[in-house]
Amino acid sequence: MPTIEIEEKVFEVDGNGFLTHPEIWDEEVARLIAKYDGINELTDQHWAVINIIRKNYEEKGMAPMIRQICKSAGLKLRQIYELFPLGPARGACRVAGLPKPDGCV
Amino acid sequence: MAWYYWLASASLVICISGCIYHFARLIMLGKPRDHSTRSGSPAGGIVYSFTRAMNPAGKESAYLNLPTYAMGVIYHIGTFIAIILFFVFFLSENINEMMTVPFAIFLFLSSLCGIIILMKRIFDKKLRKLSNPDDYISNMLVTGFQAASGIVLLTPSTYPVYMVITSLLLLYLPLGKLKHVIYFFAARYHIGYFYGWRNVWYVTKQKQ
Amino acid sequence: MEKINDIKIKTALEVLNSHDDSKLISHLNSCVHCGLCAKTCLYYLTIGDERFIPARKVELVSSIYRRYFTVMGKVLPALVSARKLDDKMIEEMVDLLYGGCVMCGRCVRHCSIGVDIEYVVRKGREMLAKMGYVPESLQSTVKAALETGNNMGISYEDFVDTIEWMEEELQEECNDPEARIPLNEPGKNVLYTLNPREPKFFPLSISAMAKVFYLAKESWTLSTNMYDVTNYAYFSSHPGEAKAIAQRMYDEMQNMKSGRLVLAECGHGVRSNRWEAPNYIEKGFFFEALTSVELIAEYIRKGRIRPDRERMKDAVTLHDPCNLARGSGIVEEQRYILKNCVSNFVEMTPHGTDNFCCGGGGGQLAMSEYNDRRLKIAELKVRQIRKTGAAIVVTPCHNCIDQLTQINVTYNLNIQIKTLAEIVADSLPVLKE
Repeated sequence: MPTIEIEEKVFEVDGNGFLTHPEIWDEEVARLIAKYDGINELTDQHWAVINIIRKNYEEKGMAPMIRQICKSAGLKLRQIYELFPLGPARGACRVAGLPKPDGCV
Repeated sequence: MAWYYWLASASLVICISGCIYHFARLIMLGKPRDHSTRSGSPAGGIVYSFTRAMNPAGKESAYLNLPTYAMGVIYHIGTFIAIILFFVFFLSENINEMMTVPFAIFLFLSSLCGIIILMKRIFDKKLRKLSNPDDYISNMLVTGFQAASGIVLLTPSTYPVYMVITSLLLLYLPLGKLKHVIYFFAARYHIGYFYGWRNVWYVTKQKQ
Repeated sequence: MEKINDIKIKTALEVLNSHDDSKLISHLNSCVHCGLCAKTCLYYLTIGDERFIPARKVELVSSIYRRYFTVMGKVLPALVSARKLDDKMIEEMVDLLYGGCVMCGRCVRHCSIGVDIEYVVRKGREMLAKMGYVPESLQSTVKAALETGNNMGISYEDFVDTIEWMEEELQEECNDPEARIPLNEPGKNVLYTLNPREPKFFPLSISAMAKVFYLAKESWTLSTNMYDVTNYAYFSSHPGEAKAIAQRMYDEMQNMKSGRLVLAECGHGVRSNRWEAPNYIEKGFFFEALTSVELIAEYIRKGRIRPDRERMKDAVTLHDPCNLARGSGIVEEQRYILKNCVSNFVEMTPHGTDNFCCGGGGGQLAMSEYNDRRLKIAELKVRQIRKTGAAIVVTPCHNCIDQLTQINVTYNLNIQIKTLAEIVADSLPVLKE
C-alpha cells in the first residue's frame, strides 16, 4: 500500500495519492495534502469548496458536480481551477479526502 | 542416388508440407473481417505495408539501429541466395564457374552478419532476456547453412556435409521461429489492411 | 490476487483459440525477437527496464499460445519458451499488459515485421478480463458505466441541471436568449456525445462546442439517456462488457433517429465507438460515426463558421491523441483547424502518426495502481512540449487533457491546456448587439 509523508505525518493512499481511508480525514489532513500540491495556505474560498465536496461525499458517497460546487460556494468556474491547479477532481476532491472518482480523471 | 540426396529430398518434402500447413491454415481462416465503415483503402494500406512502410528512413526500428538493421538485411539476402543455390545444386549440381567466387564471398559476408547478430543476442542483456533456445538454434542453422553454401561453392568435396546441414535446417524450419518466412507476409498483410482501412496508411490520400 | 483454476484457464485459452480470421495467428507467430522495438516504447525509453520492451509483452501472450496450441510448445516447451498459464504468469501479465502499456501503437508502426503488438496486448488483456483480473480501479469505472449509463455515475437531474447552466453561459456568450443546448430531440442531423468528465468537472468544453454548433446553425441534440462517449471496457478488453456499452449507443441512435453520431474529443471514445463498436455488436452502422474534429474541419471548409486567427496570438502546439492519429488516421484535420484558428501554431517533434503518448493512454489514467509509472513515462511528452516553447497545448482528447494537466503541475510546465473546441470557440467572433 503506497503512503505519502507530509510534515512527518504518514497517510495510506492509492497510487494517485487519494486517501485509502477517507474517514481519517480532518482539517489538518486537508491542509497537509494541499501543501503537498503546492497550495501553501487554504483560504476561505478553498474551505468553501472543500466543505461542499466533503458534505456531498458524506451524504451521497461521491463527489458533487462542479455545478453544485460553484452554486453553493458562489464561485465562478474559472475561480475553482485557479484555487486548485490540479482541477476539481485530482485537486479539490483529493484535498477533501475523497477516494479517486471513476472516469477520465 | 547418394544417401545425402535422399536425406535432403525427404527433408525438403517435410519442410514444404509444414509450410503448406501454415499457409493453408492462414488461407482457411481467411481475410480480415471488419464491420466498421472504412475511411481508407485496405488495398492501398497493404501496398504501403510492403513498400513505403519498409523504407528504413521512416522506420525507427531501422534508422535508430542502422548497423543492426543493415546486417539483418544482408543476412536475409544471404539466406535467399543460399536457398536459390540449393535448388540449383539439387537440380543440376553445376554452377557457372564465373559466379562461384562472388557468391561465396557474399555468403561468407552474410554468415558473418549472422554471427554478429548471434553475438549480440548472447551479449546484449536486453536481447538475451528476450531470447529462447529457438532463437539461437534458428540463427545457428541459418548461419551454418549460408557458410556451408559458401564453402561448398569453393570446395565441392564438402557436399555431403552441406546437404546434412541443409536438411537439418529444412526439417526445423516449419517448427520454430523460422516459420516467419510465411508469417512475416501474413503479419504485414494484416497490419497493412488494418491501417489502410482506417486511412492511417495510404498510397494516395482517400478523403480530405 | 485470486488463485488461478482450471475454469479460468479454459476461459482464457478460448480467447486464443477462437478466430474470426487469420489475424490472431499471424501476429502470434511472427515476432522474431529482434528487439528493435525497444526504443519506440515510452516505458522502455523512460524507465529503462527491459521488461517493458514491446516484444516482451507480445511474448507473454504468444508463449501461452505456443504452450497450448503448437506442436513444439507441447512437446518441448523449454526450447521455444512456451509457458503455462499459472499464477506467476498472471501476475506478470497484469503488471505488463495492464500496468506497462499505454496501447499507443507506436511500436506497431515501427515494428520491423509488422506485428500488431497493441492488438496482441489487447488479446492478453481480454484473457485477463475474462478470468477476472482487471485492476480494481479500472474495473470500477467500467462498472459505473454499466450500472449508471455513464462512467462517472452522474444522475439525470444533475446532468440536466449542468446542461441548463451551460445553456445560460452559451446565451450570454452569444448574446442570444434563444441559443440552446437541445436535449432529447429526435430527428436531428447530429447526436452529440460527451465525456462524462465534462458535465461533472470541466463543462467549458460543452458550451464551447455548443457555440460552434450555434454559429454553424447545426441541427443537433444531446441525449440524457446515452451521452457517454467513453467505453472503458475497451481498456479492460472484456468483450461482453464492451459490447453492452457499444450496443447502448447504437440503440440510442435508433431512438433519436439521427444520421450522424458525433464523437466528442476523446481518443479511445472515437476508437471504441467508430472502429470497435461495430465489431463488438457484430453489425455495421446505419449512420455515420465521425469525430467532432472532422466536423469542425468540415464547418470551416464549407464556410459555416469563420474563425478569426488573429484573436489568438500565443504560441499554440498540438498533442496528437494516439487513437486519433495512429488509430483512426485523423492527422490533417486538427492541423487544418488550428491553422485557421490561431496565428502561431508550432509542431512538436515527432508528431502525427509518430507522436508519443502523453502517458495516460490505455486506461493508465484510471489505474491508480500504476500512477508512478504514468508520471514517469510522461517525461518524453514534457520534453517535447518544452522544446516547442508553446504557451498553450491543444489536444482533442479529454484523457490526454487530464494527464497533461497533472504533468503541468508535476513538472512545472507552466502551460495552458485546452480542448480543440475551446480554441475554436475562442476564435469565433459573435456579433454583439
